[in-house]
Amino acid sequence: MKIHMKRNLMLLLVMILLVSLAFSGCGGGTGNGDEEQQQPVSIAYYATNSEPILDWDPSVMFSNGIIVLNNIYETLLRYDAVNNEIIPVLAESYGKSDDSLVWTFNIRQGVKFHDGTDLNAEAVKYSIDRTMRINKGASYIWAAVKEINVVDEYTVEFVLNYPAPMDLIASTGYAAFIYSPASVTSDDSEWFSSGQECGTGPYMLQSQVPGDEVVLTKYEEYWSGWEGEHFDKVVIKKVTETSSRRQMIEKGEADVTINLPYEDVEAMKDNEDVTIELENSYINVASYFNTQKAPLDDKLVRQALSYAFPYDDVVEFVLGGYGTQGRGPVPKGLWGHGKTLKQYTYDLDKAKELLAEAGYPDGGFSLLYTYMSGDEEEKKTAQLYKAELAKIGVDLEIRGMPWDSQWEMSKGDPEGRQDMLVMYWWPDYPSPVSWLYNLYHSEEEPLFNLGYYSNEQVDALIEEADQKSASDIAEAEELFVQAQEIIVDEAPAIFQYDKINVWVENNTFKGHVPNPAYPNVVFFYNTYRGE
Amino acid sequence: MKKYILRRILLGIIVLFGVIAITFTITRVIPSDPAAKWVGPRATHEQIQEARIELGLDQPYIIQFGKYISDLLHGDLGYSLRSHQPVATELKNYIPATVELVLLATLLAIILGIPLGIYSAKYKNRWLDHLSRLFSVGAVSLPTFWVALFLQLIFFSKLEILPLGGRISTNISIMYELPNITGMLLFDSLVTGKFMIFKDAFLHMILPGITVALYPIGLVARMTRSALLEILNEEYIVASRSYGLPEKTVLWIYALKNSLGPTSTVVALSVGYTLMNTFLVEAIFSWPGIGRYISDAVIGLDYPAIMGVTIFSAVVYLALNLIADIIIALDPRVRV
Repeated sequence: MKIHMKRNLMLLLVMILLVSLAFSGCGGGTGNGDEEQQQPVSIAYYATNSEPILDWDPSVMFSNGIIVLNNIYETLLRYDAVNNEIIPVLAESYGKSDDSLVWTFNIRQGVKFHDGTDLNAEAVKYSIDRTMRINKGASYIWAAVKEINVVDEYTVEFVLNYPAPMDLIASTGYAAFIYSPASVTSDDSEWFSSGQECGTGPYMLQSQVPGDEVVLTKYEEYWSGWEGEHFDKVVIKKVTETSSRRQMIEKGEADVTINLPYEDVEAMKDNEDVTIELENSYINVASYFNTQKAPLDDKLVRQALSYAFPYDDVVEFVLGGYGTQGRGPVPKGLWGHGKTLKQYTYDLDKAKELLAEAGYPDGGFSLLYTYMSGDEEEKKTAQLYKAELAKIGVDLEIRGMPWDSQWEMSKGDPEGRQDMLVMYWWPDYPSPVSWLYNLYHSEEEPLFNLGYYSNEQVDALIEEADQKSASDIAEAEELFVQAQEIIVDEAPAIFQYDKINVWVENNTFKGHVPNPAYPNVVFFYNTYRGE
Repeated sequence: MKKYILRRILLGIIVLFGVIAITFTITRVIPSDPAAKWVGPRATHEQIQEARIELGLDQPYIIQFGKYISDLLHGDLGYSLRSHQPVATELKNYIPATVELVLLATLLAIILGIPLGIYSAKYKNRWLDHLSRLFSVGAVSLPTFWVALFLQLIFFSKLEILPLGGRISTNISIMYELPNITGMLLFDSLVTGKFMIFKDAFLHMILPGITVALYPIGLVARMTRSALLEILNEEYIVASRSYGLPEKTVLWIYALKNSLGPTSTVVALSVGYTLMNTFLVEAIFSWPGIGRYISDAVIGLDYPAIMGVTIFSAVVYLALNLIADIIIALDPRVRV
């Protein structure tokens, strides 16, 4: 018995010794085979809350893949939301005809795609033509384009059916990427799906774990060069758990993250190793009334319900202060935002007065309010609003639903539609038209105008403003604000809040300037490691 | 015996068909438009209409179902609505990571759970037994997400000795080419002799591995203990002891052999449970497995992906049940 025990003990010891020898022999990067010593590289690490990218086709991708693709591919122009100006990227300059129907872009020379071929006008035409042919994702941004002509090797011309702001459209973070026709030869996405890319951007795809991690490595031939400080590699990884993302930033394992709960942000404020950066995003939230159904077809009732909304409480208690009350449909920071627009305030007396005027002195009706299930902010907001409406005799049934189900319900039979629906909105390209046309312009069949709002004067103003934005932004802005004045007065929606994006960064991560026109995107070429 | 197994397989196929039919119907009934999802978040009416034809959604239900089954028989699970990638390819990418985790948990359940159960039975009602039972009950009843977060807090944040999540350190995955034979990183790095990668992958495996293994360890320990206790009271054990056979032989050979039937069944079935359990654990440990894939698919109402994972899970469950049935049938005391 004792001999057995001794033998077992010896065996165990030998095993432990073997395992520890195996481990200690290969530490510190001096392994065997192909694990030889490598040059030190600087790596930037971005922990995101969703898959880094789902669809690799730059003509189709219309989601969070914007983060990855904007570092691999480039657009003709880029919109600098902070200074409200257009930055030349693949187009060195551009011009337009007097009627804004012909836009000419002069393509930068000496730019190479990652496959080694040269960028030229033909590649620009091919890329945008392919995007329009495939007709998926955000391809509709090119709706005004009649044809694209190659004028010469480095000049390309967009001929339009009607005036449209091609400079803003060509700056879009989706569906405006230029890629190499030498690599992409067909309209299906198979070539991209097999993990390949052919952009001109500063970084190339090194490797990926689908749905989990993307590793980018610098493209030595990048047209803007690599002088100065830059990262050699970039890791974009999905880390769903907010507590994990927080711990990674605190321990310096990750450099940058976004969408942490406000409680975590507050708790990290005093941490010297962490930088909190606030960005006035272009994302805002509104709840849309069913303007086709009584009692909400009455403007007075909608105004009353707008006065009953606890704006300040929502900003303070739901958003932790990281938001501002909405002023009209267009968010703060974007051109076309109505700085002088009327803003509804929380005023229950005024609400009661208006309800009485509309024939509902004691309220006495019930409404169904739907929000996206799983979204804590929308849920808490709904609960606060319910409590306020109860005070004026209006019963609010709040119901969390998956976005798809909510959307289907609102596109269905008018009588079966919810009375109020909450929806986020963000622009495809930086123009107020994204909100005003999609959400408030009359629609024959509802798609995103889910308040079913219809006003001919507003329609005309929006259309005119959109066309004007091709030639005269100031005049367009004025028309957009005029449309918003009518909308705010008629209150087809409660303009709940404009979101502030909170970026949490390791404070050695430098050079990142958030740009709300490209949600969640870090242009890693501009960033570097500093003290 | 052959007839029995064939009967079970046939029954399994019928169940599988039922699962597919029900899931397929549910995905068609839930108010959501796969065509809109296919095109993108801001799909226009025209785009949606085009997509409806492209995806065959304009066809009657029965034709859609028939086409799905026919494609399925050819190994085609359709395309994910979110990524536009073949679901079969995506599953192939995600399954190995989950299987690796489940296998480790099962292995731990066997090598820790069985001895724990045996000692618990041997020292019935003594402190070792109480301790083991306390552990087993705790292991099966502690909420997985709590254990996961607790382990992360202790071993990553406080002690700083184990990684927070993922399968491999970022630096290593960037600097070295990862071996890919089976997709199971531990196994692949070991057989290719890449010990540094093996070490790193092993360290990443510890916390999720423990979290996932706790339940099956506890379950197997409890099962082994109760099965063994019952057997230890049998007459043949009393007879063996009276012949003067060493206690070790009686316990580890005569008694254990007969108690392994129910334990094996529990192990086989707990693999199924463990698979489901990893779904939550993967989210917390950023483990790129099928669990995270299905949770994203469900949130995004990505029907083809949901169908794919459902079919995979159903097949695993049915196979495990079949194995459990066969184990039971192998026992000569059982008539089949």
